Amino acid sequence: MRLRLSIGLCLAAAMVPAANAHHSPVMFDSGRSVSVSGTVREFQWTNPHCYIQLVDDTPRQAEWNMEMAAPIYLMNKGWRPTTLKPGDRVKITVSPLRSGANGGLVLDVVSLDGKTIGKVK
Amino acid sequence: MSRLALCCAPLALIAAAPLAAQQLPDWSGVWFTEAGATVSISGFPTAVLNPSDTSPFPLLNPQGPWTEEGRAALISQLGRLGLSKSQGWGYPVMMVSATPLQFIVTPRETLVLTVYRDLRHIMTDGRPLSAPEDRWVTTWGESVGHWEGDTLVIETVAVRQPGLSFLSPPLSEKAHYLERLRKVGPDRIEGEMTITDPETLTEPWTIPLAYVRAEGLDRLVYDVFTNDRSELDGDAFGILPPGEHADPP
Repeated sequence: MRLRLSIGLCLAAAMVPAANAHHSPVMFDSGRSVSVSGTVREFQWTNPHCYIQLVDDTPRQAEWNMEMAAPIYLMNKGWRPTTLKPGDRVKITVSPLRSGANGGLVLDVVSLDGKTIGKVK
Repeated sequence: MSRLALCCAPLALIAAAPLAAQQLPDWSGVWFTEAGATVSISGFPTAVLNPSDTSPFPLLNPQGPWTEEGRAALISQLGRLGLSKSQGWGYPVMMVSATPLQFIVTPRETLVLTVYRDLRHIMTDGRPLSAPEDRWVTTWGESVGHWEGDTLVIETVAVRQPGLSFLSPPLSEKAHYLERLRKVGPDRIEGEMTITDPETLTEPWTIPLAYVRAEGLDRLVYDVFTNDRSELDGDAFGILPPGEHADPP
């Protein structure tokens, strides 16, 4: 059973690259989520991943590297290259980087009044 | 030639002949595997929330009929996943991965494309597979197919190993793949893949295939990888600052 479980965990680790085609997601702690409010500095609509550069609302105004799926997956969910613009105020929930650096895998993006970003069917 | 052979020859020609365009099923649009359809903006399929669910990657299932060596190779591969990268899928992974794909059905061939520029030519003009001594082993293999009613039956051989992706099953280049695909509804294609491999499998291995229509795509949009910011940092990947890029895998 232990072997089976560990294999299952390995496969789970493989699932993000299945979506993104590039690397394993073990760099992210998928067992935790962290929400960060701030201002979008840049939205990169690029392969192999999209990224949001977010400057948080703490006094330090730290910049976060937020990784997303490849653009085609965002497009499938109603996102477009201009969905986020510099200056937009948002709250982003991520699975944080295990390294402790400011960054993570984006799970959800909402405006500060709670509206989901992107077109939702 | 016997009378029976003369009688059956025209039937054989009819069976091998490509269907006319108006007889072909409409598989247009963009499709995902069922697991792929659940991928969110994170890139996670829903099943990742249940780590014991191996269904999104059936070809990596250690419970398959692997030989002892095949299973050892698979388990070794699974242990290295966390430090791996790849540029795409290759066959057969492209048929079971989370990538969106398209089927371009024409009388003489059906093309299967993925957004990572995988491309399969499935020749349906009646030709047989190349003779073994003439086969060109490639990442996507050599495929021929024929229509049995509205079911596309595909034979594939000469698939290069190791595969392009770190998710490629550790089969051998002697593996033979038989797929059957049929559109069972406006938004669903179903079928199965049976793999026979004298070197890594103890018996033919059949896995189900199922594709559903992409909710928000009407075409694949291709773009090169200009912004890979995932770089190995010690024993895990980290995210490089904007403007810095990792070396290609």
